[in-house]
Parts: sequence; C-alpha cells; structure tokens
Amino acid sequence: MKKTIVVLTAALLVALVWFFALSLNTPKISNVKTQEGKSLPSGFELIKLNGEKIEETELNEGMVLLNVWASWCITCLVEHRFLKELSNTYNIDVIGINYKDKLGDAIKYLDKNGDPYIYSIHDYDGKYALKLGVTGAPETFLLIDGEIVKHRVGEVNQQVWDEEFSHFF
Amino acid sequence: MKNLAIFFSIFFLGFFISAEQLYPGLDEQQLKRLNYLSDNIRCPKCSYGNISSSNAPISKDLKEEIAQMILANKTNDEIYDTMTERYGDYILLNDPEKRNPLIFLAPLIVLIISISVVTIYTIKKSK
Repeated sequence: MKKTIVVLTAALLVALVWFFALSLNTPKISNVKTQEGKSLPSGFELIKLNGEKIEETELNEGMVLLNVWASWCITCLVEHRFLKELSNTYNIDVIGINYKDKLGDAIKYLDKNGDPYIYSIHDYDGKYALKLGVTGAPETFLLIDGEIVKHRVGEVNQQVWDEEFSHFF
Repeated sequence: MKNLAIFFSIFFLGFFISAEQLYPGLDEQQLKRLNYLSDNIRCPKCSYGNISSSNAPISKDLKEEIAQMILANKTNDEIYDTMTERYGDYILLNDPEKRNPLIFLAPLIVLIISISVVTIYTIKKSK
C-alpha cells in the first residue's frame, strides 16, 4: 500500500511538472498586433491642415514616415522634440496624421512647438486612423513603397529609433 | 435656486438619454447584438476590459464601426473577422480556441486525488 501511495504521489508530481512545462511552452497572449506587412487604407479623401487635398499615391511611393499626433496628447509633446531632430538633423521627411483634433488647436500646437512635418493630414473624426489600425496617439508607421514595414505604438525617441527604425535608412 | 432647478433638470434628463439614441439606425434587436459584440471585443488601447466598458476614443469608434457593420447586414463572424484581421486574436475576449476547461478542472482533480490519497493512507494506517 505504501508503495502505491509513493507511486501515486510521484505520478502526481510528474503530472504537475508536466503541466507547468506545457504552460511555459504555450505562447503567451500577445498584445494587439501591429499593422506591419499591410498597406494604407484606400478610398479616403485626405486633406492637409491647410485645406489642400492629398493624393493617396503620394503616400505609397518610396519611403514615408507617418506620425499620428494630436494637440491634446501629452506623449506627442514629449515625442515632438525628437521628431524635429529627425527632420532637421537626419533630413527625414515626416508626414503627420493629426488625430481627432480641432483644426485651430492643431495649428496653434504646431505654431507653438514647431512643425517637424512636411505636412499633416487632418483626420478630425479619426476614421482614416481607425482603418489604418491606430489605437491612439502617438503612433508611427514607416512605409516603403506602400507597405508598412514598421509600426510603433507609443513614443518614438532616440533609443526606439536606433533599435527599430534606423536600419531602414 | 434657479441654478439648482437647472442642475436637477439636466440631471433627470440624463435618465432619458439611452444607448438607442447614440445609434439611431439600430432597432432593439440590433442594439442587443451591438451590446453582445461590444462585450466580447477587447479595447485595444486598454490592458483589460471590453469596448463597452471602456471610455477610450478607440472603443467608441469601434462600437460605431460595429454598428455600421450590423446595419450593413454583416454576421457576427464577419465582424469578429474584421476585428481580428486588424488587431489580431487578442481583440477577442470570447475566443473559443483559447477556452480550455482543463485549466479550471485541474485544481479540482488535484484536490480529489489529494483527498483520496490522504484518506486511503489514514484508513490503512489506523487498521
């Protein structure tokens, strides 16, 4: 009887360890997937902050860095200095997507903090950003010939740039 | 006094503003579907919680998009597919593939085995 109990306990322990090992190998629940590998949503009438129309083809040619920002977004303000550095020092063209923002607030924000963007798309209702897979601001997309090769959710700073973006340039 | 009256008028008016008015195109059945789907879709901006309990702008947008898809006669599966295509499986709170009853049964099984082992051992020893 004693032997049976020992065997049973041992079996139970082995089963528990096996369960534990299995749970370690199970991939953890991932977060929201990025939009890498996809292309930009089409069929939208895109308007710049100054009211000019943008052709979708403009965004689908060559290397395009899209940055989602808003005047109400605190992290965007933190990121802003680095974006200016990108456009000034690295000479990289950054296109902004002004997300769920009033036109006046957006223009005032750029006047006050400087404008690192060659232009910004005014996405007042956030519908374009929604289809693009944006979950909030700031987010940054790097496109090469219309394909999203990098999608960063959150702030881009020097470290993030060096680790995730710089090798594309 | 006048201010108080205005305050209470606005306060009680709030009771009559219901979800139906937020989605005017939807009938009662479709609203129920919207609520059901919103309960099962995770807010992509938040760590936990569904889009019906979240105040994030993205949750509001997603509910609006789902309402539009309901109006366009999309099935629940088609709506879930659109969401997972954009945000991945993480977006589904009610993912059938992730359901594993063994997780909930395992402690019970261990408990039953442990009680049996201890009982048998005690009975045997007392004899």
